[in-house]
Amino acid sequence: MGIWDAITELVEAAAPWSTADAEAPAQAPEETKAEEPEEEEEEEEEEEPVDPKETFEEECKNSKECAPAKHHYDECVERVTNAEANGGTKEDCVEEFFHLVHCATQCAAPKLWAALK
Amino acid sequence: MLARSCLRSARAFSGLRNGAVHVSKRAASSSSSGANAESPLRLNIAAAAATAVAASSIAWYYHLYGPTADAATPAEEGLHPTKYPWVHQQWFKTFDHQALRRGFQVYREVCASCHSLSRVPYRALVGTILTLDEAKALAEENEYDSEPNEQGEIEKRPGKLSDYLPDPYKNEEAARFANNGALPPDLSLIVKGRHGGCDYIFSLLTGYPDEPPAGAQVGAGLNFNPYFPGTGIAMARVLYDGLVDYEDGTPATTSQMAKDVTEFLNWAAEPEMDDRKRMGMKVLVATSVLFALSVWVKRYKWAWLKSRKIVYDPPKTPNTPPRL
Repeated sequence: MGIWDAITELVEAAAPWSTADAEAPAQAPEETKAEEPEEEEEEEEEEEPVDPKETFEEECKNSKECAPAKHHYDECVERVTNAEANGGTKEDCVEEFFHLVHCATQCAAPKLWAALK
Repeated sequence: MLARSCLRSARAFSGLRNGAVHVSKRAASSSSSGANAESPLRLNIAAAAATAVAASSIAWYYHLYGPTADAATPAEEGLHPTKYPWVHQQWFKTFDHQALRRGFQVYREVCASCHSLSRVPYRALVGTILTLDEAKALAEENEYDSEPNEQGEIEKRPGKLSDYLPDPYKNEEAARFANNGALPPDLSLIVKGRHGGCDYIFSLLTGYPDEPPAGAQVGAGLNFNPYFPGTGIAMARVLYDGLVDYEDGTPATTSQMAKDVTEFLNWAAEPEMDDRKRMGMKVLVATSVLFALSVWVKRYKWAWLKSRKIVYDPPKTPNTPPRL
């Protein structure tokens, strides 16, 4: 027990991370966490925050990768709106919409995580 | 009793022996006479028939049980969320506690008006999200029932660190009444309680399209969200750009708020995660040290056996002639 305590104390002293103290009066406890510096580099100060998710997904929807899904979705929307104008249809474009959104979010996910804090 | 059981076993044994004898006799007789009696044509017919029966039984089975009937359309199933590269889900990463702090702010300012977080006490927030003084001040903002006084009346007292976060509604009926019949679920374990976990929560919060796709049926009082099973969700979109003013100056975009609050809800569901990963690391360190030790000890213990040399020394008798 005594030896093990000595070893853990040594390791804690040498390790780059350390335990955060809840009662530290001056600074918030989370400032001592080790993972933060690598995540703070993407910070941008903007007046009007624009959601990066929507811009990335819009780019992805128009990219070559999602062209088939977008083509199917656009075609479905055109077909269904025409049919509704002519007197109603039971068809909906939910499935095509799912495929398009799935493709777009899949493509945007890594870019989005790089942009978010 | 003992004698009888002995007798029975002896009888059984003899019966077995007799059986064995019979079997060997029968096998011998069939092998001597069977091959000549069957003509090759009848054998071929039998083989073909057996194969046909086997194949048709498979076909029949497939006809009965093969194709599975999917009762759910993709819309009823809901869109499966995309996997996002959450940093805190990696093996050797902790929660980003700055993000937890932002996420708690989003929960308090946005979600808490409808959703309870009833399994999280104020003391759990100390040291992980808030400082001690902040948590105490937050607890004192709410009133809780105290012990009965001398007249048996239950008075109110300001909250303490041991109290749990207050519920927005008194009970389920009140929650349903206020929300058009829909019950906002408790968020304490929501990340563990939903298929897809963090990805699902994030996708749900950010996935509201500007307008539902053409032809989609959206029920009265419901909103279209592709990730919700059935696509009709009673919760409307709540996160809009710039809804919250982050104290650390992070731009409060919709996806940033959703990411922070999702990470916070993940913390609420498994607050032990940081400790668990540290414990796992300790286990890996200790076992690797022990394994290395055991390898060295094994080398030491086996050294005499591995390094010995067995030599055959033939007797020195030069006069004996070689045997042929």
